[in-house]
Amino acid sequence: MILEINPIEIKQTNSMQIELKNVMPKPLASIQHGEKSIWGSHVILHPAKKIVLNASSGKGKSTFASTVFGIRDDYSGRIEYDKRDIKTFSVDEWTEIRKNKIAVVFQDLQLFLTLSVRENLLLKNSLSDTFTEGELKTLLEKLEIDDKWNQKCGLLSMGQQQRVAIIRSLAQPFDWLLMDEPFSHLDIENTNRCLSIIADRTNGQNAGFVITTLGNHHSFNFDQELNL
Amino acid sequence: MLNKLLFKNQDKKQLIIAVIGAFMGITFLIVSIHYLIKVNQFGEGEDILGPNTIIVQKKVSNTSTLGLTKTDFSKKEIEKMKNLSFIQDIKPVIANSFDVYFKTNDSLVPPFSSDVFIQTVDQDFLDISDENWNWKDGDDFVPMIMPREFLVMLNTFMSAQGIPQVSDDLAKEINFSFRIANKDRSLKETVDVRIVGFTSEVSSILVPESFMKYGNEKYSDGMEQKITQIMISSGEGEFGLVEELMAKKGLDSKNSQMIVGKLKSIVGTLVIVILGISIIAVFVSGLVLIQYMQLLISRNIYEVRTLIRLGHAPKVIIRLFFIYFVKIFGIVTGLALTAFFLIKYFLDAMFTSGGININTDVTLESMLALLAAYALFSFTSFQTAKKGIFSQF
Repeated sequence: MILEINPIEIKQTNSMQIELKNVMPKPLASIQHGEKSIWGSHVILHPAKKIVLNASSGKGKSTFASTVFGIRDDYSGRIEYDKRDIKTFSVDEWTEIRKNKIAVVFQDLQLFLTLSVRENLLLKNSLSDTFTEGELKTLLEKLEIDDKWNQKCGLLSMGQQQRVAIIRSLAQPFDWLLMDEPFSHLDIENTNRCLSIIADRTNGQNAGFVITTLGNHHSFNFDQELNL
Repeated sequence: MLNKLLFKNQDKKQLIIAVIGAFMGITFLIVSIHYLIKVNQFGEGEDILGPNTIIVQKKVSNTSTLGLTKTDFSKKEIEKMKNLSFIQDIKPVIANSFDVYFKTNDSLVPPFSSDVFIQTVDQDFLDISDENWNWKDGDDFVPMIMPREFLVMLNTFMSAQGIPQVSDDLAKEINFSFRIANKDRSLKETVDVRIVGFTSEVSSILVPESFMKYGNEKYSDGMEQKITQIMISSGEGEFGLVEELMAKKGLDSKNSQMIVGKLKSIVGTLVIVILGISIIAVFVSGLVLIQYMQLLISRNIYEVRTLIRLGHAPKVIIRLFFIYFVKIFGIVTGLALTAFFLIKYFLDAMFTSGGININTDVTLESMLALLAAYALFSFTSFQTAKKGIFSQF
């Protein structure tokens, strides 16, 4: 099902367009996919759209995030950023894309557990100097974990780690924010707070985002819904 | 922060072992290269004969005295020896076949005269410049290389006469002359001669080849000259093979030449063994350090991979690993250099107190070896870091 696009929220932008042309990850090739599945179809992720990717477990939500993010290349078909096959990108181009074009919240978060919250955030933020330390603290405060600033990430609960990972993903300029089940350990209140921050940040830079979920729309008005 | 993330939590035991190994290997490497060169340089410049050169003759035995065996060398014999791998060059020593009467011709020294025996050797064997070692008919004087024993004898004679003795440099200022003649002395002439150098290795007066040729052509009785002495030069550290050849062929040489050559050969071989062990030690410890780098990268796979996914450039991460290990090796080479100077200080003092005056300058080759080891390690570190990091992309 494709959601109606709210014309007021869509702005003219030069942001990057992502296109999936008959993409079929090799591990999923033997599975029967539904008609609406993005696998094996032609899908365009238009700039600045807020998209939800809905699927049950094992259908390839994480595979979607990692193939679009360029971590995996074991698929047939073609993924394009602004009409260019992502398999042709050089190491330097990927570095630039990950620094300035696409942010990500991994399902397993990929935080450095031996480093503090501050160090985890600054390691990412230092690449683009997007926020000041004060702004990062304010974001933590909004998600009620500002008291964890100097605490090692390994000592935080999963919910707290998830919030740190979300703030880290925002600490860079981006056209797209890919989030793989980012609220799986959060209650409704914290999820709403996170979504509010994410929406503000993406709207602020005319960016789009894709959230993968197990069916929960988190009461958010998405522009588009994709299925697997 | 990146350094803290990648290098803080590591088990440094293996690193310490590799550092100690590399330190010892590099120290021995530069010490052995330095002293290998010093051993080979030992004695150079002290004699007019080139290094690793000896004059040999056939041993005189009862049978040769009775004329049953020959004491001269045939051309075939010389050619055969020349083809041996350890012989760099071999040339006959040509003697005079005319009479030479040597006398002092200077008011500085008392009159002294004697019949002498002169010889000439190929200039390639002499450590003397072309400028000082040439003669043509009409020149003011004939240059000669004097046996050092002769100067000792002259000084003894002068001392007995109550006349001040002369140094090497002063002796080169004294005018001497040769009266050369044929056997019946019907043809003769006198030429001025000057000392241009001394030798402890040859017992006769050496003159340029052109003068010998002139005398032999003009005053010889026409009999064919026999080659009773030859000059042999061997490669560095191959004196043992020359000695073996001499024993096999029944050849004889001056003892001092033999002892220095033999000592240089033995010490040179020992130092080469140490050098070989040092190279292996440097190689092995370098390998352990590189392995440690691989281990460190593999222990940090998660961190490296995540950093790359967050947008950190792989080349920045490569540089971090590279600089970390280059710094470690830099500290190792710095320590090895300090140890080298300490060892050198004590060894040089030991040599001096033992009466061996060895040149104490630092050899360029040992420093180049240090630089080469450092460059090789740096290059290998960079390649290892590059391979390890890019494999995580």
